[in-house]
Amino acid sequence: MTNKRVFIWDLPTRIFHWALVLCVIGAVISGQIGGNLMEWHGKLGLAVVGLIAFRLVWGLLGSTYARFCQFFPTQGKVLAYLKGQWQGHGHNPLGAFSVFGLLALLAFQVGSGLFANDDIAFNGPMQALVGKDLSDVLTGWHKLASNVLIALVVLHIGAIMFYAHVKKDNLVKPMITGWKDNAEGESARGGGVLALVLAIAVAAAAVYGASGAWVPAPPPPPPAAETPNW
Amino acid sequence: MAWNMGRIKANVDGTYNKDEVIKAANAIQAIANSGMGALYLPGTDKGKGWKETRVKPELFTDKEGVGKVATNFVQQANEMAKVAAAGDAAATKVQFGKLGESCKGCHDKFRVDEK
Repeated sequence: MTNKRVFIWDLPTRIFHWALVLCVIGAVISGQIGGNLMEWHGKLGLAVVGLIAFRLVWGLLGSTYARFCQFFPTQGKVLAYLKGQWQGHGHNPLGAFSVFGLLALLAFQVGSGLFANDDIAFNGPMQALVGKDLSDVLTGWHKLASNVLIALVVLHIGAIMFYAHVKKDNLVKPMITGWKDNAEGESARGGGVLALVLAIAVAAAAVYGASGAWVPAPPPPPPAAETPNW
Repeated sequence: MAWNMGRIKANVDGTYNKDEVIKAANAIQAIANSGMGALYLPGTDKGKGWKETRVKPELFTDKEGVGKVATNFVQQANEMAKVAAAGDAAATKVQFGKLGESCKGCHDKFRVDEK
């Protein structure tokens, strides 16, 4: 065993990861309970919009192991991994499916959620743009996909436990500290301040766009004097 | 029902108009206590009407489960009317949330999602 270590996950990637964990847990719970928690469900959904937008930019401009092209699961890499020949750090070729799968599914969840309604008292911020019928359909998909999401998260955690107990590889610690111990290889580079500022700006723009703040407000209700008294 | 729920929500979120909330809460309470069960007679799960019914067949078999969510809804609707009459915006908001959860109790369990 050497004392060498490799820097894998830059700080923005780690903050993204754990913030996403909290937001998704909160969104799932608030969505299940409903009632006044739906307000939080909506806010957490918007936060996830921002986080996903951030991650997409960071996947292009971030540091080495955060980049999509670094871990994109090509056929060759996946086959090599399955034969036990894959050597490398960061997301392994199968884990990459988990990353892209979760990102895509979450994008679908927030995308459908923006137009959804709960038929009780809560509407997604852009529900008014699509009309009730389409909103109902999107709501159905939103609920269906939430089960798929929970299943994927369970699989994700299961894989990490498999790594920890069977392959004796602790994947959680590097996601907290950024460093992988007892390993050799190139540390992550890139993802400077400029990239970070750009990624945050895109995330902020995405949240604003998704918040529906730009959707014209419905016309004010007619003055009370015109309301008949029955 | 949705209209009156929306009215309470608008008052809770915006400026609170006690009379508006009382009207809406009383309407919901009245519907809740109107014997809605009569709408769900056996066979209506095949309803085509202006659109296909979204009721799940379980609504006609799981008597106990239906009774539980329905009773809860009526209770929360009664409470909603009581709280609305008192006119406290914060309390109204809390009870409005509970009422919404009781709606959801049935929607989640006995209603088919649109696909």
